[in-house]
Parts: sequence; structure tokens; C-alpha cells
Amino acid sequence: MSTVDGTGIVTEAEPAGKGATAGSGPAAVPERSSGGAGLRAVPGGLSAGAREQAPASRPPGALRAWWRLLGSEAGLTFRRPRNLAVLAVLAAIPVLIGVVMRLFAEPLAAGAADGPGNGGAIFAQVAGNGLFLTFAALSLLVQLMLPVAVAVVAGDAVAGEAGAGTLRYLLTAPAGRTRLLAVKYGNAVLFCLAAVSVIAVSALVIGLALFPAGPITLLSGTTISFAEGLLRIGLVVLYVTAGMAALAAVALALSTLTEAAIGAIAATVVAVIVTQVLSVVPQLSWLHPYLLPQWWNGFDGVLRDPVATAEMGQGLLVFAAYTAIFGSIAWARFTGKDITS
Amino acid sequence: MTTGAGDHSIVTRGLTKRFRGGQVAVDDLHLSVPRGSVFGFLGPNGSGKTTTIRMLLGLVTPTGGAWELLGAPMPGGIPAALPRVGALVEGPAFYPYLSGEANLRRYDAADPAADPRTASRRIALALERVGLSAAARKRYRAYSLGMRQRLAIAAALLGPRELLVLDEPTNGLDPQGTREVRALVKEIAADGTTVFVSSHLLAEVEQMCTHLGVMRTGRLVAQGSLAELRELNAGETAVVRVETPDTAEAASVLAGLGLAGVRTGDGEAGAELGAVAPERITAALVAAGVAVRGLAVRRPSLEDVFVGLTGEGFDVDG
Amino acid sequence: MSEQQQRGTREPARGSRVVRWGVPIAAVAVVAGAIGAGPVIAAVQGDPVLPERTAERLLADALKAAESGPEPMSGTVLQTASLGIPALPQLSGTGGTSPAALLTGSHELKVWYGGENRFRLAMPGRMSETDLIVNGDQAWLWESDSSTATRIKGSVKAENAPGNATPHPGALPTATTPQQIAEEVLRRADADTAVGVSSSEKVAGRDAYQLTLAPRDASSLVKEVKLALDGETFVPLRVQVYARSAAEPAFEIGFTSVSFTPPAPENFTFTPPPGATVKEQSLDELVEKADTEAQARQEKGERLADGLKTVGEGWTTVAVMPFSEQDLRGQVPGQGAGRQGQGGQEDASGAAADALLEAATPVSGPWGSGKVVRTKLVSALLTDDGRLLVGAVTPEKLVEVAGR
Repeated sequence: MSTVDGTGIVTEAEPAGKGATAGSGPAAVPERSSGGAGLRAVPGGLSAGAREQAPASRPPGALRAWWRLLGSEAGLTFRRPRNLAVLAVLAAIPVLIGVVMRLFAEPLAAGAADGPGNGGAIFAQVAGNGLFLTFAALSLLVQLMLPVAVAVVAGDAVAGEAGAGTLRYLLTAPAGRTRLLAVKYGNAVLFCLAAVSVIAVSALVIGLALFPAGPITLLSGTTISFAEGLLRIGLVVLYVTAGMAALAAVALALSTLTEAAIGAIAATVVAVIVTQVLSVVPQLSWLHPYLLPQWWNGFDGVLRDPVATAEMGQGLLVFAAYTAIFGSIAWARFTGKDITS
Repeated sequence: MTTGAGDHSIVTRGLTKRFRGGQVAVDDLHLSVPRGSVFGFLGPNGSGKTTTIRMLLGLVTPTGGAWELLGAPMPGGIPAALPRVGALVEGPAFYPYLSGEANLRRYDAADPAADPRTASRRIALALERVGLSAAARKRYRAYSLGMRQRLAIAAALLGPRELLVLDEPTNGLDPQGTREVRALVKEIAADGTTVFVSSHLLAEVEQMCTHLGVMRTGRLVAQGSLAELRELNAGETAVVRVETPDTAEAASVLAGLGLAGVRTGDGEAGAELGAVAPERITAALVAAGVAVRGLAVRRPSLEDVFVGLTGEGFDVDG
Repeated sequence: MSEQQQRGTREPARGSRVVRWGVPIAAVAVVAGAIGAGPVIAAVQGDPVLPERTAERLLADALKAAESGPEPMSGTVLQTASLGIPALPQLSGTGGTSPAALLTGSHELKVWYGGENRFRLAMPGRMSETDLIVNGDQAWLWESDSSTATRIKGSVKAENAPGNATPHPGALPTATTPQQIAEEVLRRADADTAVGVSSSEKVAGRDAYQLTLAPRDASSLVKEVKLALDGETFVPLRVQVYARSAAEPAFEIGFTSVSFTPPAPENFTFTPPPGATVKEQSLDELVEKADTEAQARQEKGERLADGLKTVGEGWTTVAVMPFSEQDLRGQVPGQGAGRQGQGGQEDASGAAADALLEAATPVSGPWGSGKVVRTKLVSALLTDDGRLLVGAVTPEKLVEVAGR
């Protein structure tokens, strides 16, 4: 207690332990805290006071309550220093790539072009058109950095609250398990969108600042206007967000299995790395279409002419399947879980 | 107040929690907490109090039995009942990087029945109630142990509550803080709110509660009003003890008053009090010229009851 | 509460737990169902939607349709090979566009066909694409990796249509549209083949006939070849080659999506984008260049070809030619040599030859001894006396032929 008020000493019965003297029965002495900064009696009392309001203000709509909780989640996520640092790193990488390419444009472009089929060409294009930095940065970051960022937030979602003990207070509020989980997932998707957008915007700004802008040459060799290029960047952002949202579902499922957030985060990252390794083993090519990371780069379909809607549609279906399966696993686990932390 | 469960805020029927591995944390619990009571839930550490509270609040699923909260059968009644229940479970837990006020706002947002329009007012009121208004904008990280405990109580007071569940509310508090919590509980109870408070300290419970339930290794060994529990060892009667150098004379006075079991010891005499009023004994002793240094009446205490029930004392940290 | 107490789970309401976990199980089932939906639905609604046709009739219709040329169409072709070739360093690269890469894994090719002399082929890679666009007498090869547009001058003949057009042999697959391979298979449908037909196939969402061609000779490694023909247009939609040793096709090429509406004209126009390297090559030059590139190999090959003879006919034909390990070292890399010279290729080819020989099993017979390499569809026997025997037959058959 911050203050111990000298005047607050109350004559008190001897604790009922070692034989109380006559007349000092338990619960006999009513006591009053005599002021100070301690717990204070509020005139009217809270229960009574609040009860007055209850009939006057009708209970808020369920939808509104959902939005309020989502807003609270988002506020928590986007005010948390750690998450802001993650977003800052994501924003800094396109800047780094852009600056390096500006300084060493020639050798890097030539070197990159040596690796056919590995996206090297897309880097070579950056020097000619700043808009391509967005695609280049996303194709690079979507492999590991972005998944790690998503894992940090989605893996922490339930396990972090459980570890801190705040989960029990949310549930006794009562947030409702299904509602809380849905809101947590919605918030994770929101973070995915923010993370992808941060990369895109940062790359766009630095790309346009350091390199010439203009019409864009697609992978198919067709040229589209700058404005349409921006539109296609928007599509890329949405597609990559959907891919990350699927990963967020996996991370959320892992998050319901443990009370150690770091465990869920690490498990998600390890899962991503393992699948990345599997997806370069040619003997496992039959497995590749079922691996999530395999589809993250599918946004290159936006850069074809015509846009490879079939492939990207298939990618979105894969994302939806992952989201449905792992989302329902998370739900089954979380709604039946004993909260003992 | 609301539904037909009548006059009980909490009712459990055969509530049981068996953990994997066969360990029984709570065994066949039949708890009845009358509305408006201050119910002390007493038991040594590890006797199943916290597991019971977690089951009552729907955090842990019982392996057997049924329970009702504020008249609503659980766990189906969680959305209806829990908004009317304020809870402090196993110590405070908050977001360290948020201020006290922001922390309360967070928990308020989790309650779908809470009206966001009145949130600021209710939060300010709850903070004022626990004396944290001045520290409302300080980060929780910077709070002292006592402030954290008080913030947890404030969180339990965010809305109009019909039931307050406080798990070890004075844990970590200094004596002053302990007194303040006790005062607050009484004040809340005075408004008609039922308070269910768990503790391993008999002294604490005894001073604020009207009713008691006693846990021992997962079983409820006794429950009822304080008076009812005292009667449990009605067989033991009150004893009067006189401190005096004139032990023989004192003994004869006591015997003369018709007291049974008169005995003498080193510098004292004693007897069973029976129906005799203590003041009559005092007067008789003085009239007989006995030099009384002190006179004490020792009634059978709850402590005796509990030691009998649980086999151990309660002020000993288990 | 103590830790171990809290660890526990609920064994209560068993029923509700079953219901809860039923949801993810149902989700998995739905997804698995969606993945396998095509074949399953086809199997369930097995009723032939198409009128029954005998194999002869179908072959005739197909050949007639092939003669009059394919209709305008577009689609995605997927080629999957699981030939059981020993892992070669050079071949197992991912995403490569060299024909050698087609021997392993799966590859996608997009086709737009607008009629004679108007087509586009696109090979999408990860963040890259290679396009061949032919529009009348205009032909462009676009490689996004190097940002190079190559204009090919000279008219492209009809017989160079879709699969045949290989102006840049290093960058595009040589032999891979369903039409082409189907023709090859149709020619083979003769006396030593058991032919079956079904009318209830579904390929790329279209009802199709399926011809099944199974070799009668047991020494053939090929179990059967399945050819799916579109029910309306008789365009070959899929070819599958099954080996005796595996249930999954060893080689498969087919449309994963196909549309017979004429593709948009934009697909056949190409303007080199600004900043791209533009080259010009006449078709003749290109053919010449390809020829000279092939020349070196050919010269070696000629020596082989001189001594080339075949034993047997039909499915179990075995080719016999003079060959040695030395030749092998020179031969294997040839497949990747089409691209601009890259350092280290020589070494790599040597390594590939070594790997190949290491995977071989030694055999011997009255005729001498040698080494056999066996894949799912092809066996090769390199004898120590400098002969190479190759055929789609069992190694035993090769050994037998070697003794003749």
C-alpha cells in the first residue's frame, strides 16, 4: 500500500487465534477505515450507483460489443512496443534493399540475373522502375520475415494472455471463449494486413524516391500504366495478407496448446522453416501443392498478362482450407481448455 | 433477485474435479452460498479452494456435478450470470505496459454486457473506490504490490455486481491494506452484494464473514453461519480462569457459585462457566476478598472447531 | 493450486468433447473431399454422359479431328514426370526451364491457341516467365529473367504449331502438348496392343473418352498408356503413361483447365517493353544455330547412328548402338547446353555421368558383362565391349538381347 496513515489505526480484536478474551467474539468489531488514501467509501456505493444506470442504458448490441473487443485487441497489439518494433523492422528492410540497390545497382542486378527462376530478375527490374521494389521486397520478405512477424502476434494471442494470467480475467468478464478467439483471429488478420501494407508502402515510397517511376513491364513482357501498377500492388497486398492470415490460423492453433507464448511463436516459425525445406526437395514434389509457403509467392500471378486468376484462386483456396482446419482446431482446443494460469 | 434459484447466489451439487492422473482436487462439493451473505471459503493452501473458484467461474470444467451461479445453471448460464459477478482469481493479472485505467478499460471491453458509454464513469468510480484515482494513468508496471491488488479489486467492481468472488484478496497486502480490504468488503456487502471470499487465514475470514465453508483436501467439511459452526463444538463449554495468589479461596468461591470442574493451578484457579454470568463471578470473588489479578473467560473458538475439522491450524501458511 | 493439478484435462462431458473435436475433423474431411472431389464425383456419377463409342470409332474420330486441326482454345497444361531416374545433380534443379528439368517433378505450361499461326505459350516460373508468341509472320520469344525479347523473323509453318515450335531449343520444352504425344500413341495402336475405351472420364472439368493401350508383351516396362480425348472436340486432353512398377503414372501430361472459347486477341500481340534487350533472329538462322549447336553432338551421334540397329518391334523394341563410358561423359550434358555457356557445366556433366554409373547395377552373361540402369519406363545396358542397349523393357530382356 502506498500510504499507511497513522491515524488509520483501528483498535482491533486480537486475531482469533490464541484464545480471545471475553466478549471479543469473531466478527464482533465493525471497523471503518478512517480515510487516508486507502480504500474509501464512495457515497452511495458502487453497486447501488451503477445499478441506477443499468435500466437507463440498454445493454449494447452484440455486434457493437464485438467491435469494442476487437478495437481493444487492436489497440493492445498496435500499442505494444514489441509489435511496433516488428513493424518498424519490416518497414526498414525495403529501405535497406532500396539503398543497397541504388548504391550497387549494376553488380547486384547482374548478379541477381544469374539466378533464373529464383526471382533474381525481379530485383534486376527495380533499377529500371521503382514500383518493382514493392514486388521485390514482398517476394523476399514473404519467405521468412513476414511469417515470423505474423507468428509473433498470432502465436502470442492466446498463449501470451494465458501466461500473463490476463486470460482468466477476460474469460470471467465474460468475454466468451468463441467470441474471444474469433476476435483474436480477426485482430491477427488485421496485423497481417498492417504488416504487409507497411512493407508495400515503405517499398513504394523508397522505390519512388530512389528510382525512376513509370509504366511497368509485367513478367509476360506486357506494359501497364503506373496507375494500374498501383492497383496491382493493392491486389498483391490482399493476396499476401490472405496467405499470412492462413499462417495466423496455424499460429493461433499452436497458441491454444501452450501457456508459453514463446513456445507457440517458435513452433510456428519452425513449422514454416521445415515446410520451406520440404518445398525445395524435388522428391517430395507431390507434397508441394499442399504446403502453405508454396503458395505465398503466388502473388506473381498479378504480374502476368492475363492475371493468373486460376493459380491465385487456387492459392486462396489453399489459404481458406488452412484457415478452416487450423481455425477449427484452435476453437475445439480453446473452448474445451481448462484455464489454470 | 432474479431467477428462481431463490435465496442462494452459489449452489453446487456434487461438484467434482478429477485431474488427469486421477488426482482429485475437489470432491463431491455441495456448497450453498446465501444471497447477501459474506461467505468465507476457508481451507489450507492446496485444499481445492482455487480449483473450486475456477470451476464456479467456468474457467475449469468439472468432471462431475452441477452448479448454479445467481440462479443460472452453469456452464450454459455464463453469458447471463458472469457480467453480474466480479471476480478476483489468484492474484492480479494485468498488462504491464498499460496504465491502470487502460487495463480496466480492456477488461470492460471484454464484457459484452458492459455499456461503452458509461465505461469512463464506471472505471473512474471503481478506481476511486479502491483509492487509485491518483495512479490511474501510471503504467501497471510501476504499481506496487498493494496497488496491483487494489486494481484487481477495482476490476471486480467495474459494473453493478450481485456477487463478488474474491480469491485470497489480502494476499501480499500489509496490515493497513488488509484492513482496508476488509472494510471494503463489508461496505459492499452492506449494499446487498453477496461476497464469496476465500482465504487460508481464519482470522481474516472470521472478522468479515457471516457464513463459512471449510475445505480440507478437496472436501467441504463444514459450512453454515458463524453461529451454526460455533455450535459444532457446543459440547465444549466456556471456561473461566482467575489469576490470583489466593488460589484455594478462589476455588471455593467458584465452587460456591455452583461451577463444575473447579481446579487450581500455579497462581490461578479455573472452572467451567456453565450458565453463570462472568460478572457474578467477579463480584463474588471481590466480596470474598480474593486478590484478583485477572479474570478471563475462554469460550470455545472457531479455531478449535477448525482444528477439529481439518486437523491443522489456519494461520500457518501451508 | 499446484502445477501438476492444473495440468490435467477434462475427462468430463466426454460427449461435448467429441462434438467439439468433430468440427476440425469435419473441416479436414471437407478439405480432403474437395481435393479428391474430381475423381470421387467422377466415380460416383459413373454413368457415361457421352454416347458409347468403340475404340475404332473413337480413334477414327480423333484422327479426323486431328487432321482438320485443333479449334481455338486456351488452357493450362501440367506435365508430371516420375520416371524413377537416379537423382542427377544437373537434373534436379527446381524451376529451371531447360528440357532436362522436364524429366523430374511437375511443370506447368499455359497455352493460348487462336488458330493456325496464332498461338502463345507461357512457361511461368517463380517470379519469372518465358513466353513464345506467334502471330502470323510475327514471332517473339520473351524471357523475363534476362528481360530479353527475341524477334524471330520468317514465317512459321503450320507444322511448327504449338508443341513443335522450338526456335530456342534451350528455353522451351521440345515435345509436350497433348496433341503431339497423342498422335505418337495413336500410331502405335496396333496388333501387339490391347485397346480399351471408357466414356466416363473427366479431365479439366470436361467429359472425355479414355483410350487405354496396354502392351501385350510382359517384358515391356509400360503397363498401359491412357489417352483422354475431349468428348466434343476430340482434342487430346491428357496422356498418362503407367509403368508396371507403380500405381501412379510415371509420366503424365494433360490440361488442368481448358476452354474452347477463342482466346482474347491481346494474347497474340507483343511489343517489346521499354528497357528490354531486343534481339533479332531469322528463323533460318535460328534453325541453323540450333543445328550447329546440335552438330557437335550429332557428330558423335553419327558414329553411333552408323552402328545403330533395332531388335524386336512394337513396345519391346530395343535399340543397340556402339557406345562407351567415354561417350557418356560427353553426352549427358548436351541436354543443358542450349543456354548461354555457363562456367562449370563441363564439371557438372562429368559428375552427372559418374552419378549415373554409380547408380547402375553390374550384370553379366555369356556375352560378357556390363552395367544396367533401370528407370520406371526405360532400361539401358552399357556393355563393357562398348555397346549400349536401350528399350522400354525389363533389364532381363536387355541382357537376353545382348546375348544375340
